[in-house]
Formats: sequence, structure tokens, C-alpha cells
Amino acid sequence: MRIGQAGRARQLVLVEDSPLRRADPRTKLFISGAISLVVMMSLDRLAIFLGIYTIFLMWARLLMPAVQQIWRLKWVLLILFAVDWWLISLDHAVIICARLVLLTGVFALFFSTTTTRELGLALEKLWVPYRYAFSLSLAFQSLGLLDDEWRAIREAQSSRGANPETSSFWRFVSRVGDLVSLTVPAIVLTTKRAWAITEASYARGFDSPHRTSYHTLAFSRLDAVLMAGTVALIILLYWRW
Amino acid sequence: MLSARQVSFRYPQEGQGLPPTSLDIAPGDLTLITGPSGCGKSTLARCLMGLIPHLYHGELSGEVWLNGYRTSETHMWQLAEKAGMVFQNPAAQMLALTVEDEIIFGLENLGLARTEIKARLETVLDEFDLARMRDRNPQTLSGGEQQKLALAAIMARQPETLILDEPLSMLDTTAAGNLIAYLERFAADGKAVAMFEHRREYLDGVSGLRLLTLEGKSKADDFQQNERTSPSRSSFKVEIEGLCVQLGGRAVFQNLDLSIDSRQIVGVVGRNGVGKTTLLRVLSGLQRHCGIVNVVTGARDQKPDFGMVFQNSDLQLFNASVRDEILYRVQKPDLAYYRWLLAALGLEPYENTPPLLLSEGEKKRLALGLTLMRRPAHGLLLDEPSLGQDSIHKTILVRMLRTLADTGQLVIMTTHDLTLASQADRLILLGPDGKVVANGATDVVLQDQAVWQKTGITLPAWFLRSRHEEAH
Repeated sequence: MRIGQAGRARQLVLVEDSPLRRADPRTKLFISGAISLVVMMSLDRLAIFLGIYTIFLMWARLLMPAVQQIWRLKWVLLILFAVDWWLISLDHAVIICARLVLLTGVFALFFSTTTTRELGLALEKLWVPYRYAFSLSLAFQSLGLLDDEWRAIREAQSSRGANPETSSFWRFVSRVGDLVSLTVPAIVLTTKRAWAITEASYARGFDSPHRTSYHTLAFSRLDAVLMAGTVALIILLYWRW
Repeated sequence: MLSARQVSFRYPQEGQGLPPTSLDIAPGDLTLITGPSGCGKSTLARCLMGLIPHLYHGELSGEVWLNGYRTSETHMWQLAEKAGMVFQNPAAQMLALTVEDEIIFGLENLGLARTEIKARLETVLDEFDLARMRDRNPQTLSGGEQQKLALAAIMARQPETLILDEPLSMLDTTAAGNLIAYLERFAADGKAVAMFEHRREYLDGVSGLRLLTLEGKSKADDFQQNERTSPSRSSFKVEIEGLCVQLGGRAVFQNLDLSIDSRQIVGVVGRNGVGKTTLLRVLSGLQRHCGIVNVVTGARDQKPDFGMVFQNSDLQLFNASVRDEILYRVQKPDLAYYRWLLAALGLEPYENTPPLLLSEGEKKRLALGLTLMRRPAHGLLLDEPSLGQDSIHKTILVRMLRTLADTGQLVIMTTHDLTLASQADRLILLGPDGKVVANGATDVVLQDQAVWQKTGITLPAWFLRSRHEEAH
């Protein structure tokens, strides 16, 4: 008898051979912010940008992580597209989905090339108070753990016959009431972990006003090129085309 | 110097957290603070460290002094410079993505220069034998390695006092022995150690050990000696042939063969990370694998149907009351059996209580109850059932498991707890490569020193002594 298991890794893996891995996280934050502005453009310009962005992702060896992230949103995209098309128009449905795809790609671009420690350091350098920078980086770091916990809860619930069948979309929808069997343990575990981390960090002097930083950040020529390229592209898209 | 004067604490939403307690721990003292579940050990540890009242709100009375500082009037970061605290669950206290960064975090908070941080980092990595795993994610380490890292991250800060809250609960006996030896050396250097722990037998023979026992209500009286049992079942055998399991690119089991008879309690013992939990997951149907896993009843092969009791009971509990939790999705429940379960597990007083308000020990028993209510055909699988349980709870657990085994079921439990393992009928020892190094009657396996050496587990002196005394 062979027994299957649903568990599979979902968190983004760091793409060590991406050229963007060497870029300063502040540069990547700048690029991500700039792309988030681009989503406000009209459909024709957005289409041009999506093309250029795809080439950029290929150069950065990040196309696959981005596609995988977008694939995970397939149901959301499908429903969004259908509802927008039905209620408003085809153009509107396309632009809304294109924006969501672009934003998901930005997430993949940043977190496939940046560790949460680098994110925290970048935020500190951008004058975000350490307390908030640390909390935010820890929150992103916990996403992977959340995924593991969610899987463990599903297994534990399925072993007592209380878990919705997530492999079948329609069964999942029909038994959506069972989600409470997953969400309550998830909230309990997350709250407990948050407390444990708070205690552990304060027991190691987290609130010290004398804190120093062992790791440092430095801009390189690559960062200058990336930022200049991003600015030039946005100017071209807004004023030239 | 650590000193508590009639310190007591009450959490806002609960009853008494810690009754009035006084203690003095001088430099060079290794003090073991023990007591039954729920007597306030963890609360006292938090009071000594200053986490209460800085992070917890409630009614605090009395006073705690740490190296001349009154904890309630001193900043948390100043207290953390004097004392370090190691918590019960090492995985939950990991803050960084690499072993190196985990240690650096505490050193940065001390305000040290980069060169000093580098020097202390290298010293501690060498001292705790963590240098070879410096770039690894702490979440991928074994329980023993994580506990070592948690201690290393604290020791790099060079505290004068160390407070440890149940540090042995997730460690195998070898890792526990190493930790205790380290603490003895630390105290011998003139530092103070306050260790809160159920498993006091692990510290038998530690020279100069001071013992403080916190009093608490024994819950033994809450349990009924009810002899009602399930109907007896015919015997069966679990047959595992050519089992292979890959986890994260690593082969946990390769071509494993195993045969286990019903009507017994089987203990699965091995060091952290050898595949004990994976074996239970295979038997429960949660783990992808190759090979054959069958239950053989006479000439008939069946799919295994075991109930699994998870290490972390919070994964399963979500209903509004204990009653709802146990009866959830049970078709035509046998209410007489339900009432028997409630009494046998000491949960009768909590029938209408939300499970989330129960203590950890009570939650574990509830998780056992809801699994038994499903009446799994072949028995129970328990992953580290004694974790965080005091000796009274362990006695009750074993009594319950014995009842199940006597009715023809098979009970398989993974455990680091040798006292619990010695009460099983049969022991399966797993070696570092996931191979079975022993599979036999408990008394026979416990006497065979050679097989224990193969597992990498050293039977501690206190355990051998207690076995010897039992034999005579």
C-alpha cells in the first residue's frame, strides 16, 4: 500500500545565482516601489511594461519563482477576472488581473533575492526605528513557519476527520464551514509563537538603547545601474509613450 | 546573586500563577527548582528574569533582586545584561535565519564593537561545536542542536546568572547529560544557575546541587480508577517491508523491515532526528513513502487504522467545549464510553470548559480522549506523550495505555523519556541512520549496553541505578 501526502514546500527559496542577490536591498525596495507605481498606468502602457519586466525577470533568473507565485493565485485571478468581466468589462478584467500579476511578481523579485535580515537592515538604514524594522523582518521570516504550521494543522485535523479536502476545489468550497478547525489552531499557534519570540528577544536585550550593527550595507555600481534604469523606464513610460 | 522575597503573581484571566515564594541563589550555586505541573515554575522563572512584570500584566507582590537590581524597577535590557534565560521550546526562541546571526543578535544588543562581536562569535561557535553549522537555518537543526544554540546565544553575552525553564524536556538523554555537565562547569566558575525542571532524576549525582520544591495541588485525586474497557479485539500484526522515506533530500529510512504484534505498548527510542516521528507518520498514513505497510489479521491484509496523538495538542483543539471537542464528527457516539473517557482522563470537571483554557497537561489528555473516541481499529500512536507532564500525569497515561493494550490494541509511542520507555512491553531502538538496532522485550533491550551505544544514547547513571534497585 502506498500512502500519499499533501505536504510540499511553498515558501520562496533564495535564488543565490540571481544577479539581484548582489544588489543592495534598498535598491530592490526602490525597484519594488517603482513597479508598484507602474500598476496605476493604462492598459497599453502596462502591457509594454509587463513585456519589459518579463525580460528583466529572465535576466535576473527570477522568472520561475515569479511564475510559481502567480500560479498559486490562479483561483483568485480566475474569479477576479470572471467577476470583473461579467460586472464591468473585459478591459477592466484584464487590467485588474495584470496589476495583481505584476504586484505578485514584485513580491517574488524581492523575497527571492533578499533575506529577512537584509530587509530589516535596509529598513533601519532608511530610518525606520529598529523596533519596527525588526518586527517587520521577523513577520516575513515567520511566513515560512506559518506554512509549515498550516500543513501540520491540516494533518492533525485530517487524522481526526475534521479537515476540508483542499485537493478538490468544490469540496473545499462546500465544506468551508470546517475552516474553523484550521483557523482556531493557527491563531493559537501564531499567538504562542509571537509570545515566545517576544520573550526570547527581550531576554537577549532587544530593547537596549546601545545596540550596534554587525552587518553593513553598501551601494555598488550594480545598484546605480539598476536605479538609473528604473527611473529612466518610468519616465519613458509616463511621458514618452 | 538572585533573590526573591515572598514573590507571588496572578495572571489577569486565570487563578493563582505563583503562590508566595522566597529563594536565594548565590554565585556558584546550581539550584534545581522542581514541583508538579501547574505549581508556577515557569511563572517564577519569568519573575526571576524580570519578564514579569515587564512583559506580563497581572498582580505581582513581593520583590525580586538580580545582582543588586530590583527587577520591577530596572529596564529589561539591563537585566538581560546580568542574566540569561533559556526557554523550554528551543525552536520557538529562534529569531534569525542562520546559526551565526542567532548568536550575533544578542551581541549587537550589548552595544559591542564589530571586532568584539566577531571574537565572541568565534569563541562560542567553537565552544559549543556549532562552527560547522554556522550558515544553517536554526529551524532545520535537531532539538538538541537548537537547545545548544539557544544556550550558546545566551552564553556569548557572558551573563553572571543563568535561568533555564525545563531545558531538558525536548532533549534525548545524551544531549541532556551534556547540558547538565556544562551547567556544572558554569556554576563551578562562580556563576549562579536556576534550573526549573520536572525531571529531577537527571541531576542525581550533581555535586553541590541545591533543591527547591514548589508545592502544588496534586491532581491524582481528580482521576477515577474506572476499570471499564473496550471490547477485546483479535490479535493482529503490523508488517513493514522495504520502507523508504525521503525528507528534504535526506533518506530517513532505507529498506526498513519491521514486525510488531498487537496487545502491547511499544516504545520507539532514538536520538533527535533519527526518524521516530516519521515512523509514526507512516503508520498513521500522513507520510509519503515507498514500501509496504500492512496490518495482518490471520490471512487478511488491511490498511492500518491508528489514532495519532500529536506532540503539540494545540494543532487539534478548536471547539467551544471539551464535550464538543471529544464528540466532534463522531457518528452515533457511545455516551457511556464518552463519560468513561472523561473520568479516566480527569476531564470531568472541565466538560463545558473551552479547551484553550486548559493547562498543557489537560490539553494533552483531551487530545488523547478525542482520538480514543474515534475508536481507531488498531490502536494508538503517541508522539512524545510525556512532554511537559509531571510524574503523576505520566502514571495516569501509562495506566490508560495499559488498558488499551490489554484489550488487544497496539500502542506505539516515541519518547526520550527513559522512565516512560521502561514501562513499555517492547522497545524499538533507532540508530542514527534510521536502522533498527534493537527490537525486543524492554527488560532485555535495557540490559544490552552494546545496542544503546549504537544509538548514540548513553544510559545515565541515575537510570541504571534505579533499574538496579528495582531488580533487587
